[in-house]
Amino acid sequence: MTEPVITEKTVAPAPTEAVVRIEGLHKSFDGRLVLDDVHLEVGRGRIVSVIGQSGGGKTTLMRCVNLLERPDRGTVEVAGEVVHSGGRTVCRDLPRLRRTVGMVFQRFHLFPHLTAVENVVLAQRRAGVPEQEALERAVALLRRVGVAHRGLAQPEQLSGGEQQRVAIARALALRPEVLLFDEPTSSLDPEATREVLAVMRELAADGMTMMLVTHELPFAREVSDHVVFVDGGRIVEEGAPRDVLDNPAQARTREFLSSYGSPS
Amino acid sequence: MYALAGLFQVPWSDYRSDLLDALGRTVSYTVVSFVGAVLLGLAVALLRLSRAWPARAVAAVYTEVFKNVPLLAIIFLAYFGLASAGLRLDVFTAGCLSLVVFYAAYLSEIFRSAISGVHAGQTEAGEALGLGRAAIFGQVILPQAVRLALPGTNTMLVDLLKSTSLLVTVSAAELMSEGRLITSATFRALEVYLVISAVYFALCYPLSQLLLLLERKVAAGVPLSPWRRRRVRAARALLADELRGSVGADTERKEAAV
Repeated sequence: MTEPVITEKTVAPAPTEAVVRIEGLHKSFDGRLVLDDVHLEVGRGRIVSVIGQSGGGKTTLMRCVNLLERPDRGTVEVAGEVVHSGGRTVCRDLPRLRRTVGMVFQRFHLFPHLTAVENVVLAQRRAGVPEQEALERAVALLRRVGVAHRGLAQPEQLSGGEQQRVAIARALALRPEVLLFDEPTSSLDPEATREVLAVMRELAADGMTMMLVTHELPFAREVSDHVVFVDGGRIVEEGAPRDVLDNPAQARTREFLSSYGSPS
Repeated sequence: MYALAGLFQVPWSDYRSDLLDALGRTVSYTVVSFVGAVLLGLAVALLRLSRAWPARAVAAVYTEVFKNVPLLAIIFLAYFGLASAGLRLDVFTAGCLSLVVFYAAYLSEIFRSAISGVHAGQTEAGEALGLGRAAIFGQVILPQAVRLALPGTNTMLVDLLKSTSLLVTVSAAELMSEGRLITSATFRALEVYLVISAVYFALCYPLSQLLLLLERKVAAGVPLSPWRRRRVRAARALLADELRGSVGADTERKEAAV
């Protein structure tokens, strides 16, 4: 929380340093296995996209990173600290963990009783940022995502694309080390999708570490360093976007991709 | 004209200060009971939403009991019943206690449905932002629940004000009791109770209109608390350049609209 400028990458990326490391993750809901021995690593400054069918466990996997979902087995490590292991939450300070990990939801979940700018200020104040600094940071972030002119509007007065961009600003306000995007454009029309993807593209260019659950395969191909195909709770195939999306080794991956139109 | 002159024969100026006292007492009963009922109602609603089943059970029994017993019976129990069991409450305490326990039952139902009516994603968004449980409840859930609960709560406030008139049965010296007193001195029941009714109307009508206005402002998200006003004002200053070009001063327009 001491970095002077929000837009700059703060730490020089060492190629091996992982911001998120997941090992042997298992999770079931009511006896149904949703995640089955999943391993995943997101290096600093890297962008990892998780693709797969709905109900395949992608979102659950992502929600395990900030422990909105508690895995049954396996280890979750965030910023070098084991936060959950063997079905037990090791992290003593969940709010601190969650400030390290920003999250953007499919349905935005902006606070509807507050204006856009207040949405971005709220958590900063709770994290101890002084009022004026929090406001200035919020305004700078709203500018950065291109919705500053709507800063005093209530969420319900904003379009879907504007709401999602405010939600991104809100997630960035705590200067997280990694941003999680849970199908950020799935409830948006094409125009709004373009707006939101443009913002995410800029974040990527700025070196933000991101984990992304998405159905936007062309976008995943464009920005990702690593693509993971999840199906039936298991990682079926992973690798560089070129390999996984254009030249998949597994029949299951090919089947999934063909249902999304032929990979270009 | 003659009929009207015949109707109003009570020397009202003699009763001015008594009536004002009575009016003040009605307002005191209303304010104290309403504040108490909101606090107790909120506590019961939270128990009702608790994860521990005994807490939920206690709250459910409470709500059902007091929702299904007439207020007048509760008033008699509190004033005469407890007195005969050795617990002698003065009339103000007994009156407020009755109104509190009765209206808390209704308010707890309104609060419970309002709190559980806030989208589950709001809690998650709060958690994902590293807010603690207290902050999520106080800054995310509660303000939205207030929005949902306001219409029902306001109805209950006006209803409570009118229900203080039942306290005439324990001679609580509020408006209705004063009306009874004047009637027995003048034998002008029609005139007296018309005037008393008019006073109740003059209290309740502006109150409900005011509450309606408040409902609209809150629903529109108009910042009402001083700290929110200050924050929005500071933000407006910082965003001056952007807001000038666009028609983005939504909050202002809303403020003008309601």
